[in-house]
Amino acid sequence: MSSTENAEPTTTYEQAREELADVVRRLEAGGLTLEESLALWERGEELAKLCQHWLDRARERLAAAAPADDAGRD
Amino acid sequence: MTAPSSPEAPWPVRTVARKIADWIGRLGEVWVEGQVAQLSRRGGAATVFLTLRDPAADLSVPVTCHRDVAERPGLELTEGARVIVRARPDYYVARGSFSLRATEIRAVGLGELLARIERIRQLLAAEGLFDPARKRPLPFAPAVVGVITGRDSAAERDVLVTARRRWPAVRFEMFNCAVQGPQAAANVIDGLRRLDADPAVEVIVIARGGGSVEDLLPFSDEGLVRAIAATRTPVVTAVGHETDTTLVDHVADVRAATPTDAAHRIVPEIGEQRRLVDGLRSRARHLLTGRLEQQERWLESMRTRPVLASPDRLLHGREEDVLAMRTRARRTLVHRVEGAERDLEHARARVAALSPAATLERGYAVVQRADGSLVRDPAEVADGELLRVRVAGGRLPVRVDRGADQDPTTPEDDQA
Repeated sequence: MSSTENAEPTTTYEQAREELADVVRRLEAGGLTLEESLALWERGEELAKLCQHWLDRARERLAAAAPADDAGRD
Repeated sequence: MTAPSSPEAPWPVRTVARKIADWIGRLGEVWVEGQVAQLSRRGGAATVFLTLRDPAADLSVPVTCHRDVAERPGLELTEGARVIVRARPDYYVARGSFSLRATEIRAVGLGELLARIERIRQLLAAEGLFDPARKRPLPFAPAVVGVITGRDSAAERDVLVTARRRWPAVRFEMFNCAVQGPQAAANVIDGLRRLDADPAVEVIVIARGGGSVEDLLPFSDEGLVRAIAATRTPVVTAVGHETDTTLVDHVADVRAATPTDAAHRIVPEIGEQRRLVDGLRSRARHLLTGRLEQQERWLESMRTRPVLASPDRLLHGREEDVLAMRTRARRTLVHRVEGAERDLEHARARVAALSPAATLERGYAVVQRADGSLVRDPAEVADGELLRVRVAGGRLPVRVDRGADQDPTTPEDDQA
């Protein structure tokens, strides 16, 4: 499981993405006990949040790198 | 004639000046041969000043002439030119300055000079000094550029101004020297050696404006050409007009048409480089944002999948199943119970039907012989035999007395 929210999660975006895809596939395949479905659904939510986290971070870094067009001319 | 001068009766300056003028004038008109060492034409001034030098004796004399004399068509009068001058000594009393007043100037034979250059060219070409393979590439953006040119010359300005505009970070190691006349070649060689020895200098530019064949003669000097060939640092030459070719052009790593062109060759244009870099940066950024958006769309599609978006549906599903199953269970139960009741009913009915009680109830009676067997035919029973009659209310022991009642048995009585 990924570490707590405030520390940088150790799971990479690709890992989270891969597992999320798998969770959705299994949920859609069905044939699970109630408990399994619930656990899987919770895991899915967590993974989605994780992916969102990495994408937001990427957006921030991109914006921070250089505001696209008004880079100062020296 | 004035009295001789003495400390007690000194001559005024004007007298001395006039006397000198008289003496000098006595030389009369002469034809002089020499090399133009300096030449200055101040703007529209009518008088042109030049210095005529004797290359062999290293002596020189100032010469002045009217502009028309210096700019006679066909006469390429430039510094370093070999000329023949018709002039008369002139003493300018106001300032006490002496010069030869020229009335005609002619150039020394051109052909002879060119022939000499060609001979040297063939010699050096045979030695392979001009092979393209020897040409070294120029550094992309040199930090320090060595420049050999005339002090404050147009060529110097063109190289420096253009290079700085293109690449502000560039720095120069200047070597100003004579770029005309007999010393020029030696000076340039000296500059070349000094700049070549400096490790910081990454490229050397030899720049000189246009000039006559004589002016450019030093740049076809064999010693200079060999010196250029021997340098470690790449050399760019920008000598004379585009049309002029001097031997240094052949041996240089890069021949620039003009000093400005040399500047274009040695440093990149910063604006262009910045546009290039900006272009690459925005393309990278574009690719990255594209990828990011694509991933965000993917995540969005995942999140909107029913299994994630509405898990309650999952529960719904189950609740409905449970509900359905419960109702089905209940229904089957009810059916079963009803079934059971019906069976019971039937059973009871059958029991009722089979059991004699109901018949007895309806007034019938069951007659059994002593051994329990049922009497169905009066003939089976003997007279006086002891029987047991069972009626709804109970049992009754009876004895057979045929005499008592002469009643024929008829079947329909049984139906009652």
